[in-house]
Amino acid sequence: MFSTELVVQTVISGVMIGVLYALMALGITFIYSIMRMINWAMGEFYMIGSYLQYALVALLLGPDLWWLAIPISAAGVFAFGLVVQWSLLKPIFRKPPEARDDYATVVTLALLLLLRSLATGLAGPNQFSPGSNLPVVMVGPMPLAGARVAAFVFALGALALFYCLLRYSWYGLALRATSQSRIGVQTAGIDVQGVDRIAFGVGVALAGLAGALLAPVFLVYPTNGLITTVKGFEIVVIGGLGSIPGALIAGVLLGLIESLGAAFIDSAYQNIYGFALVLLILVLRPTGLFGERGREA
Amino acid sequence: MEAALETIGLFKRFGGLLATNDVSLAVERGEIRGLIGPNGAGKTTLVNLVTGVHAPDTGEVKLGGQSLRGRGMHEIARLGLVRSFQVTRLFGNMTVRENLMTSFLARRDREAGDGAGQTEGMIELTRLGPLADTQAKKLSGGQRALLQMACGFVVPANCYVLDEPFAGINPVIKDAIIDMILDVNRRHRATFLVVSHEMAIIRRLCQQVTVMMEGRVAAQGTLDEVARLPEVIAGYLGKALE
Repeated sequence: MFSTELVVQTVISGVMIGVLYALMALGITFIYSIMRMINWAMGEFYMIGSYLQYALVALLLGPDLWWLAIPISAAGVFAFGLVVQWSLLKPIFRKPPEARDDYATVVTLALLLLLRSLATGLAGPNQFSPGSNLPVVMVGPMPLAGARVAAFVFALGALALFYCLLRYSWYGLALRATSQSRIGVQTAGIDVQGVDRIAFGVGVALAGLAGALLAPVFLVYPTNGLITTVKGFEIVVIGGLGSIPGALIAGVLLGLIESLGAAFIDSAYQNIYGFALVLLILVLRPTGLFGERGREA
Repeated sequence: MEAALETIGLFKRFGGLLATNDVSLAVERGEIRGLIGPNGAGKTTLVNLVTGVHAPDTGEVKLGGQSLRGRGMHEIARLGLVRSFQVTRLFGNMTVRENLMTSFLARRDREAGDGAGQTEGMIELTRLGPLADTQAKKLSGGQRALLQMACGFVVPANCYVLDEPFAGINPVIKDAIIDMILDVNRRHRATFLVVSHEMAIIRRLCQQVTVMMEGRVAAQGTLDEVARLPEVIAGYLGKALE
């Protein structure tokens, strides 16, 4: 009935896109776990990453240096994230904790609209493609698009780096401690505003990285962050808000389900399969696979 | 001589409640001062004002003669003032060892290398060895309180403000905490302000106590002196202090 090759190829492409989705979800969950706020403008940081990648490849470095453009794009989004935290979010955190969620939601939604309109105003509603001159990669008998393989490899590297820094560095210890008690780390002499700034920068840089990596695949236009953001939030619901392993596992799971559904049921409903999984999780485990109920003091 | 910890005319109002009303006190270097008073007397508010959780409406806090006005919690902590909380503030998903390591985050450059040696020493001292790689949220209440104290003591500070360190803890762990306080006090001449309802422990630790009632300093002296004062007895609803 179905050839083994088709199944294997579908699984591989599902895992590959899932890891990219997981980058988005990781950014959302990481910012939430440190700052206890949702950044609704995540897709716009993805969008900025993709525009930076396009601009660098098309105008400055040329297509052969695409690999150099990727870290530069991600670093650009990181720097922009620092500015956003310093100028827009830090003032919110001087308010009492009860009001923060609401303020943060309004501020990041406003930022979403502003950045989208700016992109349309500056570059028009056009679609750009940085193209990719990467050759098709053969895995056994199966051809895989070079740009997708490159994106997958870069994303894996970024995830490994992120994990090692969080697990084994002093700054990682400060980040983990902040995620568990903001008061506690201040008594240890840590400036939480400084931690917030880095965390927000890193979180949005993960989105920017995904944008830069997927620019040749999903193209570059003002609302291109929408789909991946929706996927990011789906993953966060499946994996559990605030859980880093949850984001990774749910990311791959979502990629797999979409890919298998598209190949063996109907590719017209690709986005439905993920939502079905979200509904199933909400019924069976409302906190997500790895989420914890409530917050610890 | 300059007091190690001094508050000058602290006022703090929460809505209609005047939580601290002109609180002035001075603790000498190396002193262990008790802070007692009935529930709602403003003791925890005073601790929060001293450690920068709240800013006073008027008045000032000085640490070793240096004003803490306008400084945040983390800056005050870096100046060498460590506090403990009534409800423990540990990092629940991190291990006992990692919790201790966080104490070196801000101070590892200055004093103590990377803190690995001191951390192991403290694990041995507190006999938490078998639990060193256990998540803090899995500890018992007493073990958590002990760990919180250990986090404060693993890097010696100038000044400690301890809010109810003995509440709801078994006697063995109480003794361990008392020993740690006396040890740091003796070796580093660290200054302490200890809030507690446990009069036996206060008597053992503190030469001087300050009594707070309804937001003000009602009395100061040795525990036996203040226990005889009629207004103190009245404030404790007529119960003798024991």
